[in-house]
Amino acid sequence: MTLFSREEALALAREIVAKSPAAETEVTVESTVDRFVRYAHVGPTQSADRERVDVAIRVRVVRPGGVGEARAEASTLERATLEHTLAHALELAEAGIAPDDLVPLGGPVEVETSRAAPATLAHGFDAKAEAVRRAVARAGEHRLEPAGLYETCATAKALVNSRGREVFGETSRASFSVVASSPTSSGFAETIASDVSALDVDGAIERAVDDALRSRDPRPIEPGTYEVVLAPHAASALLLFFAYEGFSARSFEERTSFLTDRVGDKLVSERFTLFDDARHPQNPGWLFDGEGTPRERLLLFDRGRAQSPVSDRALARLTGGRSTGHALAQPSSQGPVPQNLVVRAGESTLEDLIGRMERGLYVTQLHYVNTIEPHELVLTGVIRHAAWLVEKGKLVAPVAGLRFTDGLVRALADLRGVGARVERAGALFDGEVATPALHLGSLHFTSSTRGA
Amino acid sequence: MERLAKAAIERGLALGASYVDARVERIASETLVVRNDRLNEVSAREEFGLAVRALVGGAFGFAAAPLSVEDAGAARALAERAVALARVLAPARTRPVELSEEPAAVGEYRTPVAIDPFALRDAEKLEPLRAACAELGKRPEVSVREASFACRSRVQWFASSEGAAFHQELVRTGGGIAATATAGGEVATRSWPASFGGDHQPGGFERVLEFDLLGHAPRVREEAVELCAAPPCEAGSRDLILASNLLMLVIHETVGHATELDRALGCEADLAGHSFATVDKRGSLLYGSPWVELVADSLAPGGLDTRGIDDEGVRSQRWPLVHAGRFVDFQSSREWAFALEAKKSHGGARAQSWYHPPIVRITNVSLEPGAWDLDALIADTADGIVCDGVKMWSIDEARRNFQFTAELGWELRGGKRVRLVRTPTFTGDTLEFWRACDAVCDASHFRMWGVTNCGKGNPIQEAEMSHGASPARFRRVRFLAG
Repeated sequence: MTLFSREEALALAREIVAKSPAAETEVTVESTVDRFVRYAHVGPTQSADRERVDVAIRVRVVRPGGVGEARAEASTLERATLEHTLAHALELAEAGIAPDDLVPLGGPVEVETSRAAPATLAHGFDAKAEAVRRAVARAGEHRLEPAGLYETCATAKALVNSRGREVFGETSRASFSVVASSPTSSGFAETIASDVSALDVDGAIERAVDDALRSRDPRPIEPGTYEVVLAPHAASALLLFFAYEGFSARSFEERTSFLTDRVGDKLVSERFTLFDDARHPQNPGWLFDGEGTPRERLLLFDRGRAQSPVSDRALARLTGGRSTGHALAQPSSQGPVPQNLVVRAGESTLEDLIGRMERGLYVTQLHYVNTIEPHELVLTGVIRHAAWLVEKGKLVAPVAGLRFTDGLVRALADLRGVGARVERAGALFDGEVATPALHLGSLHFTSSTRGA
Repeated sequence: MERLAKAAIERGLALGASYVDARVERIASETLVVRNDRLNEVSAREEFGLAVRALVGGAFGFAAAPLSVEDAGAARALAERAVALARVLAPARTRPVELSEEPAAVGEYRTPVAIDPFALRDAEKLEPLRAACAELGKRPEVSVREASFACRSRVQWFASSEGAAFHQELVRTGGGIAATATAGGEVATRSWPASFGGDHQPGGFERVLEFDLLGHAPRVREEAVELCAAPPCEAGSRDLILASNLLMLVIHETVGHATELDRALGCEADLAGHSFATVDKRGSLLYGSPWVELVADSLAPGGLDTRGIDDEGVRSQRWPLVHAGRFVDFQSSREWAFALEAKKSHGGARAQSWYHPPIVRITNVSLEPGAWDLDALIADTADGIVCDGVKMWSIDEARRNFQFTAELGWELRGGKRVRLVRTPTFTGDTLEFWRACDAVCDASHFRMWGVTNCGKGNPIQEAEMSHGASPARFRRVRFLAG
C-alpha cells in the first residue's frame, strides 16, 4: 500500500463531512506505511511490513440544553463501517453537554503541504537487513552484544471540517539505533532523519561500539552533586518534560505547571533558548495541529526568560486569543503539547564543554526519567550506557550508573555551556528534541545503580 | 473470520513457510472523561485487522493491514508479504528461530461480563462520573477534578499451521476519580481507586459501580487538600508498609519485567533494557525473604491478562516465579523457551493489536497473601511510613535500582498513625528490598489491580495485565526528603 494522495484523503474526508447531519463536523483521514526490523545478537528478532488507516470523525450536535460533542474513530476505509462510525459519533454526542464557552471549529486556513521523503517511503527490507548484518558483525568483532532497530515510516493526513477548513500534509521518519553491550558496559547511538538517505548508519554502529569498549570495567562512584555534560540523548530525556508537563496551556491554566505566575521571568540561564518549530529541518513535524490550525514557531525560553505556553482553540484565550496550533485530536482530555522542541545551538564543541570541567561527569544517556514534583519539575532517572568521570577536563575513567533526583528548572539556571552540534534525540517515553550537548553546573545524584 | 485466517495460512505454507499463524482482530474502545464538571472527552474507536506471521529459514516475517470481512485475497497477499520479509531476514539470523513444541489450542474463551459497557446508554455511564466530579469540587483548593470511564473489547480469531483454532472475547472496564489541589505553593493529587485513569478490571460496567466513586470522593478531595499543608516526608531509613495499589506497581517493575525471558537473554536491550535475573541464576538466586511468593497466572480471576491463549496459541497457565523467596522461573514465549528447563512456553507472547507482532509480555503477576492483619501490622511497626497510591516511578535498565513516590504517606510512630506526609519517595535495590519483606497481609486484604499501559518493545507496544497483592511491610527502606 502507498500513502493516500492529497486528492484521495481530502475526497474521503469531504464525503463524510457532507453526509454528517451534525451542526459541526470535522474529519481527519490518516494513512501510515511502516517497515521495521528489530535485532539483537541472534540477528533480526521482530519485524513488520504493515500499514494502517485511521478515520476520526468529530461532531457537535445541538440538543436541549446545549451542544454535545464527541469523536469516533475507525481503522478502515469501508464505507459501511464509516457510516456506522459517523452514527456512533452522533450517538455519543447526545450523551453530554460540551462547555458553555465552546469555540466554533476553525474556518479556512492556508497551510503549506509537507511531503514525506521519497527515499524513506521506498526504503525496503534488503537495505535494513544489510545494516543489521553490519551491526551484528561489527559488534561481534569486539565480543559485544548488539541490539537495535531500523525503521522507516511515513504518514499522510487530511483534515476537513464543515466550516471550510481543508488541510493536508505528509511526514516521514527514519531511524537506526544500536546498543552494543559488554558484560560491564554498553554504548548507544541513534541516527534519526526524515529522509532515510540522511542516516549515518555506520557512524552510529561505530559510536556505539567505541563507547562500549571505552567504558568497560567502570569505577564505582559515590552519589553526590556533580558538574555534568549531557550528550544530546541525555539532554533530550530531561527537556521533553517541558513538553509533557510544562508548556501546555492546560497545566498553566490549572496552575500545575512550573510556568504558573512566572511567564516573563528569567528562570534559567540566558544561555538557554528553547523553541517549538514544526518547520525546523532537524525536528520537523506536522504543519497543522489536531484541529487543522497552522503550527506557529514559538519561543518557549528566550535567553532564559520563560515565555507563554502553547495553546489550542479552546485555550487560545491564554495566548492572546489565537491558537498557537498545538492541539491534539479533539475532543481530548489532554491539553495542547509542543511536539517539535529545538534548543538553540551554542558555540562549543563537545570537547570544549568537557574540557571546562574541573571534576564532573560526561553522560551519554539518561533513562526512565519521571516527574516527582511539577512546579519545579523535580525529576528522577538513571544514567544509562557509557558515562565517564572527568577530571581537569579529561575523561579519566568510566563510571557505574547513578540515579539523579533534581529540579530541571534549578539545574538549567546554572547552564554553563551549550554545544554547537544539534542532534535529534528521543527518550524512553514519547517525543524527540533537537538539542546540542548541555553543560550543567550541578546535578544531584541520590543513589548508585547496581547490577547494571 | 476463520476463512480469512485459513486463507493466509494456506498461502504462507504454499510459499514455503515452515510455520504460519494468523490473528484476525476486532477491537473496540470507549472513553468518557469529565474534567472540572465539563464533559471533556467522549470518544470511541473501532479497529479490524489481520496479522500474519510466517517462519521461513529460521526467521519470522510479519505483515499486518486493516481488512474487510470477505477479502480473502487481501489475507493471502499479507501472507505473501510476511513470507517475503522472512526470506530477506533469514540470512541475517545467527541462531534460527526454533519454536517450542506445544499442543494446538482449539476452543474459545470469553471474559464474564454482567453489564455490557458498550450496550449501556452513555448517560448511565456518565451519571456516576458527573456526581463524583461535582463532589470533588466542594473545596476551592481543588483546581483540577476528573472522573473517567474507559472500556475495551478485543475479539480474536487465532489460527496456525499446526492446527490451532481459537476464538476469544476479552472485555475490560474501569475508571476512577482524581483531585488535584493547589495551596501554599504546593500541588497534590489524590485518586481512587488508582492513579493515572483509575483501575481497570476484566468485566463490564459492574466493575465501575463496585468502585463507588461518589462514596470515595469526599475522602479523596479532603486528602488532596490536606496533602498541600502536610509536612514533606523526612529523609531517612524507615520501615515501609505498602498499600496494594502501590505494591502492585513495585511488583510490575521489579518482578514482572525482571522475569521476562527475552530481556534476560539480551533481546530487549535496545529500549527497555535487560535484567539482573539471568538464566544462570534460576533456582539459586535469593530474590526475597521466605515470605515472598510471586506467582504468574494468566488464569487468575480478576486479571486483565486472563484469557484462553496467548497471541501464538499457547494455553493460559499458572506457575511460580519466586518460591519461598527463591527465583525459580521466567515468563516466556515459544521462541525463547529453549532457555527454560521444560523447553515449553508459558504462554507469554502478546501483541498490542493486529498491527503489532507478539513479544514476551508480563502476565498477571501477584504476591501471594500472607497471614497478617493490616491493623496488627501497623501496630507492630515502631517507626515507619504507610505509602498509598502511585505518584511517580522510575527504575534502571537492569531492574535493580528503583525509586517510587506515593501520593500519600502516613507516618507511623509506636504502632500508630501520627500524621500525613507529602511526597514520600523511597528508593532501593530490588533484591535488598524483597529480602527485607517481613510481613504480608492476609487474603482478606488481597486485591487485583489492572495495568493498561505497560510499554515494551521497539517500536513500543502497550499491553495489559493485573497484579494482585495484600499490603506488605519492608524493613529499613531509604526515604528521600519529600
